[in-house]
Amino acid sequence: MSHSHRLQPVVGPLVVGLALAVLSHPDVAKAIAGLLGDSVRRPLSAGRLIELGAHHLVLAGTGLAIVGCLGVGLGILATRRGARGLRGGIDTAAALAQAVPPVVVVALALPVLGFGGPPTLLALVAYGVMPTLRGTVGAIEAVSPEAREAGFAIGLTPRQVLTQVELPLAGAGILDTLRIALVLSIATAAVGALAGASTLGTPIVAGLQNQNLVTMLQGAGATAALAFLCDALMLAAAGLLRR
Amino acid sequence: MRVFAGQMTAPAGRTVADAIPLVVIAAACFGIAGGLPLLQIAANRLVVGTPVSAVAALGSRGWLVVGLCLLGGLLQGAGRSRVVAFAALAAFSAALMLLAAGLGAAAADLVAGQPPAARARLASGSWVGLLLLSGLVAAAAARVRMPGSGWLTLAALMAGFVLLYASGAFDGLSLAMEYRARAGSVRAAVIQHLILSATAVALSALGCVLLYAWRPGRGAVEIAVNGLQVVPAVALLGGLVALTSGLLTAFPAMRSAGLSALGPGPAILAVAAYLLLPLWRGLEGALRAPDPATIDAARAIGLTSHQTLRDVRLPLGAPILVGALRVASVQSIGLATLGALVGAGGLGGIVFDGMSQFAPDLILLGALPVIGISLIVERALSLLENRVRQRWHG
Repeated sequence: MSHSHRLQPVVGPLVVGLALAVLSHPDVAKAIAGLLGDSVRRPLSAGRLIELGAHHLVLAGTGLAIVGCLGVGLGILATRRGARGLRGGIDTAAALAQAVPPVVVVALALPVLGFGGPPTLLALVAYGVMPTLRGTVGAIEAVSPEAREAGFAIGLTPRQVLTQVELPLAGAGILDTLRIALVLSIATAAVGALAGASTLGTPIVAGLQNQNLVTMLQGAGATAALAFLCDALMLAAAGLLRR
Repeated sequence: MRVFAGQMTAPAGRTVADAIPLVVIAAACFGIAGGLPLLQIAANRLVVGTPVSAVAALGSRGWLVVGLCLLGGLLQGAGRSRVVAFAALAAFSAALMLLAAGLGAAAADLVAGQPPAARARLASGSWVGLLLLSGLVAAAAARVRMPGSGWLTLAALMAGFVLLYASGAFDGLSLAMEYRARAGSVRAAVIQHLILSATAVALSALGCVLLYAWRPGRGAVEIAVNGLQVVPAVALLGGLVALTSGLLTAFPAMRSAGLSALGPGPAILAVAAYLLLPLWRGLEGALRAPDPATIDAARAIGLTSHQTLRDVRLPLGAPILVGALRVASVQSIGLATLGALVGAGGLGGIVFDGMSQFAPDLILLGALPVIGISLIVERALSLLENRVRQRWHG
């Protein structure tokens, strides 16, 4: 397969992400707001947007790292021979975790952990772990039993079957799960603005409170741009790693 | 994205699964008795209080709860007959009610003789204990293996809690005080929340069917629906409000037609946009559910394509459709909470009020119903999903 073919799915999110990034530029957002007839107010400077974006990315990245370690690690453990019976429990727990939306986690953690990053990070982890865990289990279980049996038949130990057969074959599925986890993380980090974390959600929330259309547009554009660009990045990684 | 939870009924490894409740109970008892505070006594509803330990709060009643838990755990380990499972369920349920009543009584003792603004708040130990006991009750109810045992247990426990609340057993707890002060607005918010999320599901389902019927555009719709999922909810809400308010300024006539940039409108629209993906996948999966041979057979016996849809495709795909509806409904209830950001009301409004006042009880008052409604809807629709699957697939 040629490189261009492998990277084809990346093009859409990349273009949308770049377009949204342009939209969030102060001059462009101001022009659009003016076009819509809004009494234009002072937009956020590009420097401030980049600062917020960097903070957003660090928060979401930290969350993804924790979610990835926990979710994939527990997913591998759950597919080991001794833990087959836990599979039903994992599905139930995943469904239950879905019932507590990120806003609610952020809100509940607020009195305990205070304002800012910590409640957001907790929400990132609480909301991300179960889908990642279930995705990992699904990806490993999708590995054909024949491949696994063949591994054992040529004398590999269970650990070798995991690292040399199961993980390489399930890699694409696990990477896809992590891509969704990253997109979720970016969305949840934006929700963290409600708890006072300074992310790209901050100008949206502030804009809604002060009726400032320009910062609302900028924040929305930049947050969505970040999500699409990260999506494109993960799709590119998946495309290049595919065998 | 994986949309459907596989319904797994793999039997649990006996020895491991049987030991889990006992280990969990023992660990929780040690944790709660050893360090986690059960209650907090604070001067008013906004400040952080001083912790009260389990021994000081519950006293001898605490040992009764622990004893009942251990009894339940031992019973579960003892055998798998229905009578034993029933006894374990009774023990865990009694422990749960006793813990709740004990917490209420301890809170009443704590606030007695204090100024009226004083609050006795549930602290981490209580939440861990109540959550674990609820989990144990749910697991025990599942082991009774009687259809509807879970719902019966839930109804009985709810009735018990309502009776306790009505009898004033929880009057000392700050959560009950907060509820009493706002019972009307909480009830209104629950109804608003249900309307918001149900409207979003209905709108999205309608949109989904219409989009699916537009055959030439199916590829483009698929890309758009998938792409929408990447947009963070806060950004979609913010962008939608910015665009509508801009449009309303540009065309004031729309405002007089009753449209507004803030309120339930944009919230429902945004939530519905996210629900398109699960519903779209469900619709697609459901229509593809029958294998080609079945469709050929239907055609061979002379069914028109309309009849095939009605009599073959939809019945065979029904479980998938209900599954998609389940996923969409749970998402809708969660996302509707965020709708309060744009003034849509609902339970999110109470949560956001609590956050801006930094009042923990008010946050809980909004958050607990969201979680409760999501869980009930999830369970009810997955029950329906299983029923439909059994009905059509034996």
